[in-house]
Formats: sequence, structure tokens, C-alpha cells
Amino acid sequence: MRKSILFVVLLGVALTAGAADFARTIRDTELKAGPYSDAKTLANIPVNSKVEVVKRQSAWTQVKSGKSSGWVRMLSLRYQTSTSGRSDSGLGALFNVAKTGTSGSTVTTGVRGLSEEQLKNARPNPKELERAKAYAVEKAEARKHARSGKLEQQDVDYMGGK
Amino acid sequence: MKTMHITIMAGLLGIALPAAAFDFGKIDWEKAAQTVQKVQKATTEIDEPQEIELGEGIASNLLGAAPLLDNAAVQRYVNRVGRWLAMQTERPDLPWVFGVLDDDDVNAFAAPGGYIFITKGLLERMRSEAELAGVLAHEMSHVLRKHHLQAIKKGAKAELLSDFANEAIKDKGGDQRLTKLVSAGTEVYARGLDKDDEFEADRMGVVIAARGGYNPYGLPSVLQTLQGLNPADSKFALMFKTHPAMSDRLTKIDDMMASGFEGMEDRPDLSDRFAREMGAGRR
Repeated sequence: MRKSILFVVLLGVALTAGAADFARTIRDTELKAGPYSDAKTLANIPVNSKVEVVKRQSAWTQVKSGKSSGWVRMLSLRYQTSTSGRSDSGLGALFNVAKTGTSGSTVTTGVRGLSEEQLKNARPNPKELERAKAYAVEKAEARKHARSGKLEQQDVDYMGGK
Repeated sequence: MKTMHITIMAGLLGIALPAAAFDFGKIDWEKAAQTVQKVQKATTEIDEPQEIELGEGIASNLLGAAPLLDNAAVQRYVNRVGRWLAMQTERPDLPWVFGVLDDDDVNAFAAPGGYIFITKGLLERMRSEAELAGVLAHEMSHVLRKHHLQAIKKGAKAELLSDFANEAIKDKGGDQRLTKLVSAGTEVYARGLDKDDEFEADRMGVVIAARGGYNPYGLPSVLQTLQGLNPADSKFALMFKTHPAMSDRLTKIDDMMASGFEGMEDRPDLSDRFAREMGAGRR
């Protein structure tokens, strides 16, 4: 047990490009040759198999399972909760959402932060609120944004829960 | 007993008036009218301008806890995505404001009236615009369904809310009731919303993102990322505390997306644009 943890830790350290993440299949799952449903099925992975995550791409995840590698449906996987502080899988690893220019925010008294206690004792910051409002955009700009991203409106109804 | 009788009569009146065959001689009309008024008062919801005013106060408190990320390009980008999504909802004309908070915690917040905030810590863990859209749409659903107001009511602050609903707030700054309500509203973030409201926001969030033309797998994809995080890390503590387990949320989304979302997985996730826009903020 201890050995395997050590191994995972070492692996995490050893891999510089993308941390090794592991997940389990929650159902019998087809391993596909590509990230789409009519791709060739390479193998069948039984429920509760441990797989190594190679890459995530929208509804699909590229995995290694034993000697085979291919794509499975994202929602057929559940990640193992990290207890050692897994490295970021987001773009944060590649860049920082950095600040630009000088800060326009004013110094306020009290301890800042979003912990439970800090939220309970939060004091208003009306100046920052005005800044936030100034960043709001009109519908026309949103439409333009959608067009340039080739986003097309769809009719989809809300769905009830179980 | 007498009051009850009158209340029942008053209730019946509304239904039975056209075919009135009662002896009304003994009814104290004035008292009946008062009772009806009282009942109405207790059930009055705050109206939209009041909802926005309350939300502004709560948003101001949130910004007191964590200021905006000082990056106009990123703030504008998040607003463009959010506004487009808002146009796919039943409340497209609220004064929607979206913001990125300069904080390493991983969390997102919605305040009544259309204020939506996500932390820098959460944004950094995203990989595409579809993921951003999914999270914003989840938060927007809390506003659409007024989950926050319900949480305030549940927190034994129902009286504050109905007082606020019934008395027009004339003197904004000086009104104690609004101040109290805003602080009760801010405390909701420490306590969390109803778990079922979170599940509902997940279901609606997926649908709203899909309506906007996004790949609808953005929200579950973020939840999957969060599932792998270490819940003992203080950066995630409050989010994990105030939300249902990620695995439960994924299971419910999985059930919902089993049918009706065929063919949507090829929709754009705009990961390139997301990377470009985030990178543009770097100097």
C-alpha cells in the first residue's frame, strides 16, 4: 500500500507534462479508437477498472488500460480523489490569469478572503461593485461573441431530476 | 375561532362569489378584509427591483471579501460569455454582471438579481469556454430560480424578507432592514444553498449552455476536475462543504444526459479561444 502511494507520488513528480491521473470506470465501457461514438471499438473495459488518464477532450477521455489505449466516454469515469494535492489539470499549469496594470482596488480594513469566517464578516465594497458593473456587456456584444465562436442557439428544454 | 371562521369565509368568497347563496349578514366585513390583507402580506415575494437591490448589497459584500481580478480583458470576456448565456434564459433582461474574483480559492457565487462571480482559482482550473459557460450557467440558475431568497427564508430570516417586500425602501443607505437582509444573504455563502437546489442548478446549467450552442459537457467536465482535488486543501474547503459530493452531482448529470444530448458532443467547446483570451491577460 505504502509502496503504491510512493510510486504514484514519484510518477507525479516524474511527469512534467500533465500529471498522471487515475480514474475508475463506473460501467462496462467501450474503448474507442477516437473521441466519437462511431469510432471503432478497440476493447471492452469492465466496470470498476482502473485506467490512466492521458487526455481529456469534451465528452471523451483518452485513457490507458493495461496495454491498450483509446478513448472512453467522460461520464463513464470517476476520478480518484487526491489526498496528496494533485497538480492542476487546467490551463493554470500553463499560464497565470495575471493582473494587468495597477490595481484600482482600494485598501480596505479587515481580513479579506472567501473562507466561511471571512464571508460572515465581509464588509461592503461599493467602489468595487461599480467597477464590476462597468465590465458588463450589452446583448449586441454577446451576440457578436457567439457569432465569432460559431455558437448556434438551440432549442433545449429544462429537464426534471430523479 | 371567530378569526378562523372569517378567514375561511373570506377564502370561500373568492371562489363562491358568483353563485352566492350564503347569509352574509353576520360577517364583519372590515375585519375580513384585514385578514385577507394579512394573508396576502405574509406571502408577498419581493419584487424584481428589490431583488436587484438586495443582490447589489450582497455582491458588494462579496467584493469586500475578495476584490475583482485586475484584468479588464478577462473580466470582459467572462461577461461576454455570461451575457450570451443569459439571453438563453427566462430572465434575459436582468442587469447581469459577471466577475472574476482575485482569490486562489476554488468557488463560484451567485447573488440575487443577476450577480455572478467565479474565483481566479476556479478559472485557472478550466480548460475551455464550454467549461466556463457550464459553471456560469449553473450559477445563473440559482438566480433564475431565486434559490438564494429561499435560503434566506429557511435561515429564519423570512420576516426580514417579507418586511422588505412590504415596505418600500426609501432611504437606501440608512435602512436597517436592508442592511440586515444583506448580511443574512451574505451568510448564506458560508452555509450553502439547499442541496436539491444545487442539483437543479446542475441540470439547468447543462441545458442553458447547450441552448447557447456550447458543448454541454463543460459543466460535468469541471465537476470531474474538482472531483480529483484534495478536499482537505483549504482552497477547496468551503466549496466542498457547501455543495453535494462531486460524485453525486456527476451521477445525476450522467443520468440526465443519457438521452436528449445525442449529437451535441461535437458542438464547440472553444478551448482555443479560451486559452487565447486567458493568455491575453498575461503581460
